[in-house]
Amino acid sequence: MSDETNGVAMTGAAASKRTISVPECAALVLFLLLEILFFALNSPYFLTWPNWVNIFTAMSITGILAAGGTILLIGGQFDLSVGSGMAFVALVFALAAQQFGIAPAVLIALATGIGIGVLNGFLVTVVGVNALITTLGTLAIFRGLTLSIGGASSVRINGFDWAILRPLFDIPLSAALFVVVAIVVGVLLARTVFGRTIYAIGANEAAARLVGIRTKTTLFLAFIGSGLCMALTGLVSASQLGSTSGTTGVGLELAVVTAIILGGTTLKGGTGSMFGTVLGLLIVGVLNNGMTLMNINSTWQQVAAGTLLILAVSFDQIRQRFIRG
Amino acid sequence: MPLATEPFLSVRGIRKAFGPVKVLHGVDLDLPAGSVTALLGENGAGKSTFVRILAGDHAPDAGEIRIDGEKFQFRSVGKAREAGIRLIAQEIADAPTLSVAENISLGAQPARWGFVNRRAVRKTAHEALDALGADIALDAKVETLRLGERQIIEIARATVGASRCVIFDEPTAALSDAETRRLFALIERMRNQGVAILYITHRLDEVFEIADRVCVLRDGRVSLNTEVDAVDQNTVVTAMVGRELAVAEDSAPPEVRSLGKPLLAVEALSGESFEDVSLSVAPGEIVGLYGKVGSGVPEFAATLFGAAPRHRGAVHLDGAPVHFKHPAEAVAQGVGFLPADRASEGLLQMRTAAENLSAPSWAHLSRAGFIGRRREADAFRTWHRTLHIRSRPDGSERITTLSGGNQQKILLGRWLENGSRLLLLVEPTRGVDVGAREEIYQLLRNLAREGHGILIASSDYEDITHAATRSLVMVRGRIVAELEREDISVASLTRVAGGAAHV
Repeated sequence: MSDETNGVAMTGAAASKRTISVPECAALVLFLLLEILFFALNSPYFLTWPNWVNIFTAMSITGILAAGGTILLIGGQFDLSVGSGMAFVALVFALAAQQFGIAPAVLIALATGIGIGVLNGFLVTVVGVNALITTLGTLAIFRGLTLSIGGASSVRINGFDWAILRPLFDIPLSAALFVVVAIVVGVLLARTVFGRTIYAIGANEAAARLVGIRTKTTLFLAFIGSGLCMALTGLVSASQLGSTSGTTGVGLELAVVTAIILGGTTLKGGTGSMFGTVLGLLIVGVLNNGMTLMNINSTWQQVAAGTLLILAVSFDQIRQRFIRG
Repeated sequence: MPLATEPFLSVRGIRKAFGPVKVLHGVDLDLPAGSVTALLGENGAGKSTFVRILAGDHAPDAGEIRIDGEKFQFRSVGKAREAGIRLIAQEIADAPTLSVAENISLGAQPARWGFVNRRAVRKTAHEALDALGADIALDAKVETLRLGERQIIEIARATVGASRCVIFDEPTAALSDAETRRLFALIERMRNQGVAILYITHRLDEVFEIADRVCVLRDGRVSLNTEVDAVDQNTVVTAMVGRELAVAEDSAPPEVRSLGKPLLAVEALSGESFEDVSLSVAPGEIVGLYGKVGSGVPEFAATLFGAAPRHRGAVHLDGAPVHFKHPAEAVAQGVGFLPADRASEGLLQMRTAAENLSAPSWAHLSRAGFIGRRREADAFRTWHRTLHIRSRPDGSERITTLSGGNQQKILLGRWLENGSRLLLLVEPTRGVDVGAREEIYQLLRNLAREGHGILIASSDYEDITHAATRSLVMVRGRIVAELEREDISVASLTRVAGGAAHV
């Protein structure tokens, strides 16, 4: 891009900024509303409170992982190891619970998740391996470890059912935890120096370093955050299922990335928000829920989610081309 | 000068808008064969859009283009190429992992049955580089080359095949003196061969050196179009900025007052591509460090800031020895840095102007880790007023929607907001238009008066002649001369930097 085009845009900037920034989220909200309208007309059960609790409960694990993933992707990084990391945490928790009891096992699980984050962060920021490759590697490693240590059958966990408790408004604690994590990450990104730093690194890592930002330290912390999210979801999953197995969380990384991208974070980083990611999660979650209510086979839900992702990103590309000329 | 009777390329009433933004409002221009036309204009005047239309990259909304009197539809870059039109774009668009030879024939590989004829590729490349008098290994990967050499390869590529019209978009920005001379010789030869040349530049001296005609764009319209012999520099500048501008050949040299103890003292510093550099900057001083591309000047500045590794030597800040290993350490000590390449090292694209300005100061503008958005907007307002930044007062628009000059002011404002005492400015006016340049020089003089120490590391002599209180000249990584204020002139700088540069 030459300065020319930038300068040219300036004359219309005052007028066009409003028209640029509003549709970025508005298109997603509109799509979600259309989805809701469509399913509401097709299923009388759709708009009931229990169904919405279901929708939120179903997306709590994907959502918590997507919260950590949003921070990373805004910073221009990736974490594909979330699904297998979560399964590994759940397994470590189940084994530790049998040995030491629940309370120490929770601490061990948290340490395990953070440890996975430290490993990813170390490889990416200190050794300098590309994040895609690093986490593709750790994805395979932790899936393999889970299968080797845990064996083929599932491991039972007793006396750990907090996630399905519904103390308030019939909302299970797993869904409540997702809401809390989403709010914390949302505030972190939008209001804190750490959030600003993440956006700056994603926008231009070289420039961020030259304004005195410790870019590597910040990204390291973001990877640890993703590890922490794996620990939380490992505990949620162990509690929800009452057991864990080698196939827990297979393919979750794709659902997570889909929701984040759908929510408007670009692969290059620098833009996006937790609010957008929640919209992305809802668009997929509502679609899956509505299709289930309409008795459409769950295999078609994958086709729909994939199509949606491509449509959303294509739409965004076209919109940007129109704006930039 | 050989002038054909009928222009090779004739443009009438070209209009172009991007969405609601009108860029060109009816541009007329003739490019005669065998003639060099210089195209000038401030950033945002529409030059790049105009040449992209000529090169088939953009379709005009209205107007017509005639080649040899026949109406021509430019639907693609390929069509324009077939018609003999070549554009050497400002930003380098090469294939970094391919060899020099492959790059030169990129887009027009000699091939048969889909197989590339390697020998022909090398031959073409060899001839093209020879014509430019450039000595670059054909098998070298382009990513290993200097910026200037990559620019030469871009130029060489445009000369391959039968070209009838060549458009240069600020080709000399990254070239050394010698390379520039050879480019001018090539342009001269092309002109004699009857090629129509359109030459975009910011530099007035180049216009008077090589152009036959000069055309100025202002706000998407032609504001001057005439023979070079018929105008002087003042007329051209006035046509560019739309008002009389005091051509500041010797405008108010900043007077040096109370030179206290040096703020910055560098002793025999060595690093990547510079050796044994010693200099000092006192509060109130603007020290110039002049060097052409390849002199090591930007690397020296980056090393001082902790952005590049130091090999040997000592640096004292306010009398205390410092050794910054990360820019964060320099920032914490009150050092500010303006990088050479605004787009790739300076701007946080996609973020707002206010965020870009406040970036180094987030720690001050926050409480318990939470950013005070109102305080940030207020900080922007202050500098918006002081630096005359043309943007919204609260800086809420994306930085990339602003012009180059305003972006540069924001990148400077960064360090003022952060209270930096020492400013290391690399190429402070690169890509900044004439009007904003003078504003930046004035700002630097004011900052010096307020007691800041400033180091201008630049390859643009104007930065030195207009702003520096004294200047050092660097050639191939070594200081070769020191000039006091009264000795600084275009002539002295070019002589010192050029004299030893190409031995």
